[in-house]
This record gives sequence, structure tokens and C-alpha cells, in this order.
Amino acid sequence: MPNKNRKVAIAVSLLLVAGSLGYLALGNFGENIVYFVTPSEVKAFTSETYTKKVRVGGMVVEGSLKTQPEPVGLTFELTDGAATIPVSFQGIPPDLFKEGQGAVVEGQWNDGHTFRSTMIMAKHSEDYMPMELKRAGVELPKKDFMKTLAP
Amino acid sequence: MLNRFIRYIQRYKGWFGGAAAICIFLGLYTGLLASPPDYYQGELVRIMYVHVPLAHTSTLAYSVLFFGSIWYLWKRDPLVDNMCQAAAGICALFTALALVTGSIWAKPTWGAWWTWDPRLVSFSVLLLILGGYLMLRKLVDDRESGGRYAAILAIVGGIDLPIIKFSVEWWRTLHQPMSFSTRGVSISDDMVIPLTLMSIGAWLLFAYMVMVRTQILYLTDLLQAKKGRLFSQTHFSQTSP
Amino acid sequence: MTGFYTRWAMMVGGLLILGMMTFQQYQHDLSTTSLATLIKSTSTSEPVRIQGMVKSGTLAGETKQGQATFELVDGPTTLAVVYAGPPLENIRELKTMVFIGQLDADTKTFKAKDTALINNFGFVTAAYLLTVLSMCWALFAMSQRVMVLFKEIKDEKLYEPEIEPLAK
Repeated sequence: MPNKNRKVAIAVSLLLVAGSLGYLALGNFGENIVYFVTPSEVKAFTSETYTKKVRVGGMVVEGSLKTQPEPVGLTFELTDGAATIPVSFQGIPPDLFKEGQGAVVEGQWNDGHTFRSTMIMAKHSEDYMPMELKRAGVELPKKDFMKTLAP
Repeated sequence: MLNRFIRYIQRYKGWFGGAAAICIFLGLYTGLLASPPDYYQGELVRIMYVHVPLAHTSTLAYSVLFFGSIWYLWKRDPLVDNMCQAAAGICALFTALALVTGSIWAKPTWGAWWTWDPRLVSFSVLLLILGGYLMLRKLVDDRESGGRYAAILAIVGGIDLPIIKFSVEWWRTLHQPMSFSTRGVSISDDMVIPLTLMSIGAWLLFAYMVMVRTQILYLTDLLQAKKGRLFSQTHFSQTSP
Repeated sequence: MTGFYTRWAMMVGGLLILGMMTFQQYQHDLSTTSLATLIKSTSTSEPVRIQGMVKSGTLAGETKQGQATFELVDGPTTLAVVYAGPPLENIRELKTMVFIGQLDADTKTFKAKDTALINNFGFVTAAYLLTVLSMCWALFAMSQRVMVLFKEIKDEKLYEPEIEPLAK
């Protein structure tokens, strides 16, 4: 490899590392980029930020899930304990999506009343156990994954 | 003529390889056949038995690289440099596999192959850092300065380790938090067995692979030296540091 | 040299046996019948496993008490299901699930006695195969490289076998 190309390649490899570390430092250390916002923060949106594409994380409220056959879709409510927002979605949600579990939805709070979601991601807890234990009513020592959903 | 440590490796590496093979075979058997499916995820929980050991072995591998780099800058022992380079290569393999298996697990559970979650981003940054490290090693001709630059780069990149570890605790994230923590274990006993076996197997496998790769790098250097392409006084002397 | 190939033959053999055992267990315990085949079948005595998506707007009954009726969709086929069994913890409309029971040929309804989780074998297989194969490939390449290097160094007359290899 010619000397000049080699120097360029070394510079590229250093830039790769510096850039990725810089992204981490700027993106995550200062809370400029937050992976998702909470329903309370969505409620505080003004008409200028309605069209912004955001991710919202929270718990799916028990008993709020309603599905519709044509076109296939569903509506439910998402809460962070303090505030609750209605969410609508068209399509089939992931199989692990469930009432009383965490979920992260991507979309827009466009009319200021309903969150129109284009993608649903199901958050699952770090609890793992077989069906027999679950049916026997065993609770594992920790059940606080709301912790990572609350700010 | 061979370095003392290389002889030790040649003599004892088989024990690590054998132990790793036994642990991984038992882990695969319990993980695939003898353990029950999860009440909520079903059979998908079995992906955990490969994903989690791969992921934390790759952070262990990076720790080896990190402390090895400090040691190299301090003592300037070329064999330590070989060991660092070996650890970086193996770490890259483990990291890449952890990312891919994580992605395969995420699609049917979360519902997406990839998302800009802090844990996922910080872990991918580890792969980028390792890519930069290995590129640098390949491109700098001079061994001594190349090793020095690479060591500095590995030490700077070390700040990613605590970020990965605590990303699920510090920030809002989709990734599930640690199942083993001071608050208790939230995995049932039947599932802890394959996870433990596979974790121990992955550590031993990493140790074995680093030994073999260190040998490769050292022997390559030795061959180069014999052919008159590399001059290093300390590298091939009988005395150990 | 022979030891190297013996070890690898043992490892590959062990992995193959493990893979076959896994495949057999899953084939035996967890395979499902498609709805279309089930409706056409005449024998209804054997309990079968069926997989399908719970149709939107059809789920009714006390799921927490283990009583429910709903329709199951699998491609173009729809089948009415009456469930009576253990509590349905995970059921939800628009979710793909597995039910175990028998088909009532007269009323064309499926009497489900138990539920199971959807078996995403493809994902599990992909994760395991990918990891095992890439690890084996890396190990094989590395072990072979070490052997080649030792041989080359011997040929270069650089390697001197020690009388007492580990003596200080």
C-alpha cells in the first residue's frame, strides 16, 4: 500500500474511534438524546412539537386494549403513573405486547389528543421462569422494571 | 529459543480448551433440551443462553485488553503487546456475535431487529472501537510505535465499558436490566443452570482462544525475525520480564 | 497431527448428535398441525396442537378463570375455538398462539384443553447455529495456523527443543 493511502487509512481508523466515542459523550452523557419520552412529557408538548416524531415509553394500562378487525389495528392507553395518553396503531403488534407490561411506541402526537404510532416495541422484564412456576403463583424476588421506564 | 510463556501456553492451553468444550456441551444440552421454556417468551428464552454469555465475555475481553494495554505501556514487553492484539481480535468476534444474536432475539420479542437503545448503541460502539484498534495495528508498519498508539487507543476506548454496564440503569431503555444484581436473582433455578454453564464455558473458551492467538502472533513475529524482517532485542530473549 | 483431527472429529460428532437430539425432541413434542389440514381430517380422537392468530373482536369469556371462546385465523382458514382449561395468562387478540385439544367434527369447533407458547424455532436455531459455526470456524483456523507456524519455525532451524522445558 502506498504511504499516502496508509496515512489516510490510519486517520480513518482514528476518526472511527474518536467519532463513536464523541457520539456517546455528546449523545448520552449530556441528555441531548433521550431514547424515549414519558407520557407526562408528551402531554406537555405544544402545537409546534406535535408533528415531531418521538418514541414514548410506558406501561400499557390494564383493560384499555381494544382491537379492530378492519383495517387491523388497536388502541390502548400508555401510562407512566402520573399521566396517561391514548395510543392508536395500525397493524399487528409484536406477540409479547400485553396489557400491564411495558411498551415503547414510535410516532406522532399530531392532533394533541391521540398518539398515532407507526411502530410498537414490547418491553419485557428480566424475570424468567417456566410455565409451571408461573401457574403456581411464584413471584421472583424482583419485579420493578417500571424503574427503567420512569425518569 | 522460544519464550517461556509461549511454552507454558503450549503445555497448558489444552486444559482450558477441554474444560471449555465440556462446559459448553453441557450448557448446550441443558439449554436446548433439559431446560423448560419461559412462561412468557416460550422457546425464545433459549437465545439468552448464548446471547448473555457472549455479551459479558466480550466486556471481560475488553477489560483484558484495557489492563494489558496499561501493562504494555508500563513494561514495554512485546509479548504483552501480542496478548493485547489477540484479546482485541477475539473480543471483536464475541462482540459481533453478541450483537447478532441480540438482534435475532429482539425481532420476535421486542418487535424490531434494531433500535437506538442506549445499551445497543454503546455496545455497537465497542465493536467500532475494536475495528479502529485492529485497523491501526494492521496499518502502522513500525511495531513499537504501532503497539504504543494502539495501547493508548484501547485505554481511551475503555470508558465505553462502564457506559455499557450501567446503560440499562442510568438511562431510559428498552433493554431489560441485569437479572443478577444486589436485589436478587430474577431467573428461575432451571434456567440459571444452562446460563451458568454457558457463561463459564464462554470465559474458558475466551481464555483458550486468546492463548492460541497470542501464540500465532508471537510465532509470526519470530518467523519474521528469523527472516530478518523484524529486529527486537527483548522479544525473543530467554529472560522473562 | 492425528490427535488434532481426532479431537475435531469428536467435537463435530458431539455437536451433530446434540443437534439431532434437539431436532427430534422438538419435532416430537412441539410440532403443530395447520388449520386447513385439521378441518379436512376425519380422525378426531387424538389431541392435536394448532397454531393461529386470535381474531380481532372475537375473544369472549373469563380468560383469568380459564374459560374463553374465540376464532383462530391461519392464513385463509378460520376456526371457532372453545377453551376450557388452566387460566389463560397470555391471551390477547391479534396474537399468534398454540392450542392443544380436539376438533369436534359435527360443529366444526375446536375444543381446546391447554395452551402453549408459539415456537419460534427459526430464531432459536439461527442464533445457536450462527454462534456455534463461527466459533468452530475461528477455532479450527487458529489451531491449524499454530501447527503450520510451529512447522515453519522448525524448518527455519530456529526452534530448539528444550531438555527441561519448564526449568527456570
